[in-house]
Amino acid sequence: MDFAIHNSQSRTIVYAKMPPPLFTTRESEGSSTLLDEKLLRFMEQLELLEEKRASLNSLIEQGWFSMSKARYSMGNKHVSPLQYASEMEPLVLVHAKTLDSGELDFSTERFEQKCCKEVGADNRSIEEIGPQEKGVRRRIKPKEDITKKAVNEETSSENAPEVTPVTKSDQNLQQDPLKWFGILVPQSLKHAQLSFKQVLELSAEIATLQTAVLSTRQELKHSKKHKHEEASATQLDSVAD
Amino acid sequence: MAEISFNVDHGYLEGLVRGMKAGILTRADYHNLAQCDTLEDMKLHLQCTDYGKTLSSSEDDLTVSLVDSKLRENLVAEFSCLRSNALPPLSTFLDYITYSYMIDNVVMLITGALKQRDVAELLPRCHPLGAFDQMAAVGIARTPTELYSAVLVDTPLAQFFQDAVSESNLDEMEAEILRNKLFKAYLESFHSFCKNIGGATKDIMCPILEFEADRRAFIITVNSFGTDLSNAERSALYPACGRLHPEGLCLLGAAQDAAQVKDVADRYPAYKIIFEEPEPGSGFKTLEDRFFEQEVKLNTLAFLQQFHFGVFYSYIKLKEQESRNIVWIAECVTQRQKSKIHNYITIFQGTEQ
Repeated sequence: MDFAIHNSQSRTIVYAKMPPPLFTTRESEGSSTLLDEKLLRFMEQLELLEEKRASLNSLIEQGWFSMSKARYSMGNKHVSPLQYASEMEPLVLVHAKTLDSGELDFSTERFEQKCCKEVGADNRSIEEIGPQEKGVRRRIKPKEDITKKAVNEETSSENAPEVTPVTKSDQNLQQDPLKWFGILVPQSLKHAQLSFKQVLELSAEIATLQTAVLSTRQELKHSKKHKHEEASATQLDSVAD
Repeated sequence: MAEISFNVDHGYLEGLVRGMKAGILTRADYHNLAQCDTLEDMKLHLQCTDYGKTLSSSEDDLTVSLVDSKLRENLVAEFSCLRSNALPPLSTFLDYITYSYMIDNVVMLITGALKQRDVAELLPRCHPLGAFDQMAAVGIARTPTELYSAVLVDTPLAQFFQDAVSESNLDEMEAEILRNKLFKAYLESFHSFCKNIGGATKDIMCPILEFEADRRAFIITVNSFGTDLSNAERSALYPACGRLHPEGLCLLGAAQDAAQVKDVADRYPAYKIIFEEPEPGSGFKTLEDRFFEQEVKLNTLAFLQQFHFGVFYSYIKLKEQESRNIVWIAECVTQRQKSKIHNYITIFQGTEQ
């Protein structure tokens, strides 16, 4: 009980840094428990986030290293930007939903491999980033396999798609990116693709977890403030009595 | 009798190639390179070797890709020196070495054209040893027949096209099939050329080329699992000049998984070792790594005999392995994966130099 001053009437005026008094109202007891729960949840989420981040880093490193091994077997110039076109169709979409609690939830969805005839029936269209003659149709940002450089966390919200189906003359764009490097590719390149696929799913989970952590932190702040106000209100009341 | 007359036409070049072979990096050089922390350090270490100022002369940022290109330029310069002074039949032999690079270039240009890459972008990345005049026109062809009749008919690759002509459109699968069919014809042709020369060249080169044929058969089989390549199509790609022909190739053609491939390998003592499970504790090596090791062993044997052409082939292949080693160390250094850095293959063990 530092900094407590006893005045002439034997009442103590309490300053901050005091532990909460033993005799509290039921309200402030409830809010303490709530605060504790929130803190614990925050810590758990943080720990999970760190774990997932660590595994994301190691998967990315593994993927790049497997690609180096593939270059060793196939030749340096056979696993390089020369092997892919500058335009490509994504195989994975990221959906962002706003939950009731106000948090954002990200999830990935992988397109099934379609054969050429069915592609025309696909009623989703993809936004092309960059100069082109047609206008923007909708706002899902796609992600792509193997050759992405950095994991991109940004998405945009998805609503019911207003669509004009994309007509592309060459329906062959949607294919397994592994085929860009040849049909008979070494195992190391397949391992690299696997690692990067896992990275994609993990990155959506991390993005969700990150927004959850931030919102928990906000809640924690509000609760602390609320409790602090409550506690000082109670004290003022007891001083006034 | 070759010993008496060999030096008249080819003695100077054999001397030259043996001199160049003495500059191949040793175990100590690799050890120094593996200690480096950055590419700049590696550049400094390479200056003390036969590579000299190769890397320092460029102004661009030092990347692994640049290191690879510079090492390749070095090899090409040495090869051109040898080729420009060669007389037949050594000149034909050296030309045979270049055909494998030509095949790779043709396929790279075809797949680049499929991806709408500009020819001007692709040409500098092609292997200089495989350069030929009609390269720029390769991307225009739509089918292998068109490729042959319009572009490659006047090139040395024309002779390898007997089985490879077809009317199907050149997509990724067809390009891969074309590559392997051309290579099969090339390998068989090279093998019979060496056999005809006879003597020490035949004794050294034929085992090396047979190993190459068998290696391709194994690698094609293992990599084809899980792809759209059918067994019949796959069997047509196996070169027939190796030790696996004919029984082993039949069995490989029917294999459905890695265990069956290992079964086939177990029937041949040389390949049984390659497919064996490694002892626990030793670093994990891929199948390709083990084939590379065996290739290096065979190639080093070439220098134990004199008065034959095998030394030229072996020198080129060993220098390529050296490039692969240096690039591997460079990748490990840039990606900070020092644990795997010792996966390179030392070329001359001990004091064989």
